[in-house]
Amino acid sequence: MVAWPAVWTGVPIKIVLGLLLLAMGVHPWEMPGLALLLLLSIPIDIWALGVSARTVFLDRLHLEPPESVGVTLWWQAALLSAIYLPIAYGIESQVVAGAKGVVGGIFEVELLKNLPVPERISLELVLWGSVATVVLLGLALGWLFLFGRIVQRPAAVARPLTEPYQALVRRWDLLRVPTDQPLLLTGFTATGVLLVLLFWTVMPVTTPHPHELYRKEPAKVEVFKPTEALQKTEKLIAQAESAVKALEAKAKQGAKGKTSAKGGARGAGERAR
Amino acid sequence: MSGQPSALEKVVAFVDERVGLKTLQAKMLNEPVPGGSRWAYVFGSCLLFIFIMQVVTGILLMFYYVPSADHAYASTQYIIHEVDYGWFILSYHFWGSSAMVVMVFAHMSQVFLWGAYKKPRELIWLIGLALFGLVMAFGFTGYLLPWDQRAYWATTVGVEIMDKTPLVGDFMARFLKGGPTPGQMTLSRFFVIHVMILPAALMGLAGLHLFLFRKAGPAGPFRGSAEELRARTDYFFPRQVWKDIVAMGAVFVTICSLAFIEPVVLLEEATPDPGDYHPEPEWYFLFLFQMLRLKIFSGELGQFVAGVAIPLGFMVFLASLPFIDRSPERNIFKRPIALIGWLLVMTGILVFTVSAIINREFLD
Repeated sequence: MVAWPAVWTGVPIKIVLGLLLLAMGVHPWEMPGLALLLLLSIPIDIWALGVSARTVFLDRLHLEPPESVGVTLWWQAALLSAIYLPIAYGIESQVVAGAKGVVGGIFEVELLKNLPVPERISLELVLWGSVATVVLLGLALGWLFLFGRIVQRPAAVARPLTEPYQALVRRWDLLRVPTDQPLLLTGFTATGVLLVLLFWTVMPVTTPHPHELYRKEPAKVEVFKPTEALQKTEKLIAQAESAVKALEAKAKQGAKGKTSAKGGARGAGERAR
Repeated sequence: MSGQPSALEKVVAFVDERVGLKTLQAKMLNEPVPGGSRWAYVFGSCLLFIFIMQVVTGILLMFYYVPSADHAYASTQYIIHEVDYGWFILSYHFWGSSAMVVMVFAHMSQVFLWGAYKKPRELIWLIGLALFGLVMAFGFTGYLLPWDQRAYWATTVGVEIMDKTPLVGDFMARFLKGGPTPGQMTLSRFFVIHVMILPAALMGLAGLHLFLFRKAGPAGPFRGSAEELRARTDYFFPRQVWKDIVAMGAVFVTICSLAFIEPVVLLEEATPDPGDYHPEPEWYFLFLFQMLRLKIFSGELGQFVAGVAIPLGFMVFLASLPFIDRSPERNIFKRPIALIGWLLVMTGILVFTVSAIINREFLD
């Protein structure tokens, strides 16, 4: 009753932090990202546990929630998890390895040896997966049982409430929605805008995973130098001019030669007549 | 100054007089939610949110994407490598499509387990099933567009499965491919279906789905007497709206995180030669693909049974469910067949999907 809503109360905030770490190129499942996320999760978990526990005390148990219930539950749950989770991980790993070994042995029997691969994969998965799931569920229930014992201790000494139900509902409702709602909405929106700006600022502009076959052609940028361009153009014009002059001179010479040649030919004809 | 309406109030009054804004707002937000707001009711709103985001990111991608066999791959690579934040928008769009499938499954499961498909909500359920089909079609048609080996061969496999459908299969496969092998015609047709036909159909059907939902009203929790439910009845605003916003935010952040963790990286450009690549469909069709590998489903008949008859039969069963299950009992713990059936289907999908992933290692 306390653990489940507390997890879901904290998760949205934690995934926002996780996303910001990812955008910064830090993996939240590796060190140092993991350590940072766990550190930031402490106040979030204390708040989430406090809100969920107070709600359960008021709404379900009709008991006055003890002072700083969030902090108390957090350190006790942290201690429990620090001892329980490594043991549970060890047990689950052993069970998975053992179940896989046994199932692998079963399928080495002559009768099942020639089973096609797809059938064998699914059957093996169902067999060892069922054992692993049952053990995992048992371990999860074990943690929940022990956490329940932690919650029961303050509940046993808590003062019963005599307020009417409507007043209790209003009390636990106000744990989430403060009386100054415009202030909450303004703060919420401002935080949202800030996070969005931060997100787009830290995110890489181009892909952090470039394709091995994708080659960007280096762009050839030519710097335009006006003096050089002018000199080049003037040189070109001068060259063109001299070429034109040379052509004109050649043409004139050609025309002269033709005229004299024509005159010579006419004289020879006349002489022949 | 006091007593005089402000400029903003005047604008609102002007629009309200012509549009009926306040009536619309009252209708939208003052919807009674029997038994109070719940986290279990957020899936429908989340689906709408994901779809809107898919439209937005899809439009942004279309500014650069070229739907031709010669340029589709290059333009997608350009989006990833050159366009500012293009890699992120594309990866968001890719993971958004997966999120939509997951959310459709969650929404359908919630409606099924809550018994909310029963009278008088049969039509809402039927239109929901049609929307489910559209979401799958979105995934199938969008998968081809990057035009890499994965896209090309997933489409080839999908169209081959479709080809096995009696009567319409051959026509559908020929219509979609537009030739003997996937090529320019296939890409053009998939593109048009993906960006024009499916969005229009989805918007129309989603509108009808919402209209019918508002007409029938929320089913409410399956436990508790009518009197208890009435006492705890809440309005859609603010509690359910707040839960919806938080859920949408969580979905958005999750999709963004996936875009960072596993961004879209293309394989080689599509060719009719698979080379070393082992063709397989998108992850949400993997269970079906793995079923087709089983010996029991080998041969023409077997392939037809696993690829067409079972999925089609299951959809027909789901469509006729409100008319078969006419008992007014909605509590899932008093409907053992429904509960066991749901668990079996979900476990089956999970086992075959994981098996397909393990099978990949054997092939590699």
